[in-house]
Amino acid sequence: MILYDYILSPSCYRVRLLAALIGRRLDLRAVDVHPGQEHLSEPMLALNPAGTIPVLSDDGLVLTESTAILSYLAARHAPDWLGEDTPAMRARVAQWLAFSQRLTDSAGAARAHDMLLAPGDIDALRGQATKALRELEAALSAARRRGESFLAGNRPTIADIACFPHVALAPDGGLPLDPYPSIRLWMRAIRALDGFVEMPGIHRLHELKPEPGPMPEVIRKEQA
Amino acid sequence: MIESDAPVTLDDSGDTVPTDWTPAALSDDIPAASAAPGQLGAHDLAIWRSASGRIAAWADRCPHRGMRLSHGFVRGERLSCIYHGWGYGEGGRCVRIPAHPELAPPEAIRVPVFSAAEASGVIWVAEDAPDSPPPEFPGLAAFRSLQVAAAPEAVAAALGGTGTVIEATLAGLSVVALIQPLRDGAAGLHLLAPEDSDPAALDALSAAVEALRRRVEAAEEAAA
Repeated sequence: MILYDYILSPSCYRVRLLAALIGRRLDLRAVDVHPGQEHLSEPMLALNPAGTIPVLSDDGLVLTESTAILSYLAARHAPDWLGEDTPAMRARVAQWLAFSQRLTDSAGAARAHDMLLAPGDIDALRGQATKALRELEAALSAARRRGESFLAGNRPTIADIACFPHVALAPDGGLPLDPYPSIRLWMRAIRALDGFVEMPGIHRLHELKPEPGPMPEVIRKEQA
Repeated sequence: MIESDAPVTLDDSGDTVPTDWTPAALSDDIPAASAAPGQLGAHDLAIWRSASGRIAAWADRCPHRGMRLSHGFVRGERLSCIYHGWGYGEGGRCVRIPAHPELAPPEAIRVPVFSAAEASGVIWVAEDAPDSPPPEFPGLAAFRSLQVAAAPEAVAAALGGTGTVIEATLAGLSVVALIQPLRDGAAGLHLLAPEDSDPAALDALSAAVEALRRRVEAAEEAAA
């Protein structure tokens, strides 16, 4: 399973994160998006004419939409992550997968504007992102009142993984997360999952790792 | 009603009495062993709860390199900076510098500490040590915290009151709204609802307060 990947892309991180959480190894091919523009090179356009990443290639199947890649990985290797217990749960997953595109188009575009000098009306983008974040906060606070920690119920699904990266990185686009307590707790719940991996700008929960002990003997001797 | 810029609360007869405390967050939003950002006037706060459940409000700045301590992590009774792991305990005193595990940090390395106390599921903060504890609201439970991009006075007026503690009826529920002045002319709105409310009534309350926020912000924008 080959993933054409860029370390700073939140959409690529979605795929790397789900693969790590379900314990599947990906054959990563680094694409030099910035500054190399390799995603717009002939070989990459031959694979994906849209010129976007990630691209997943597996057994002749080529997928170029990250939410479709999440569905595929989960369906093949960890069907629980599809969240298909009931018609309502399945619909909630579909709802938040579609919502994740709104995050990409608002918070993601604001981040691309601020960090990668991408064009865009930054005030309008932040306005749309704030509406989306408030909607997410309201939904997650309602979920908490029902004892649920995740978007489609009491366990994580691909919907959480699709929404998480652009929310966590929103401050890069001038969108502080300080006003959203339920979003903060939801992000903690995701970061606390077994197998969680980081990307630049999204760190693990340090408190879950053992505290560093004293300096190893070998280093002490070298210093002496 | 009294005329004062100081936060006020209600006494047994429903009259307002002044309190030196400022509402800053809801207890449930900062669970054990976690930290969150907050504000008190011009100060940025790191509000955090130790593993044993003690709440504290400190200046949101690590004395080492200035990183926000609210991005940090909690182990046991210590808050540690995410940057280099300096750990702070009782009274804001630095108790551990991981790069020098055998060094007892000098007493002078200290995070400025604010007063913090909890009542009725609300975390209150103050610059000095107020004479009396923060107000209790029997029969009410903390519901949601939101930020409103409008002046505290405008939010209070929309709820039909003035000052910091406002009794109002929203979506048919008798609620108490605590209004917190935030920087940049914004307001924090901490809501308490009757503790026996059923989930559907609380969903309606959530929708009503979101609608109120839209109205207040639209009016603020039209006036600008």
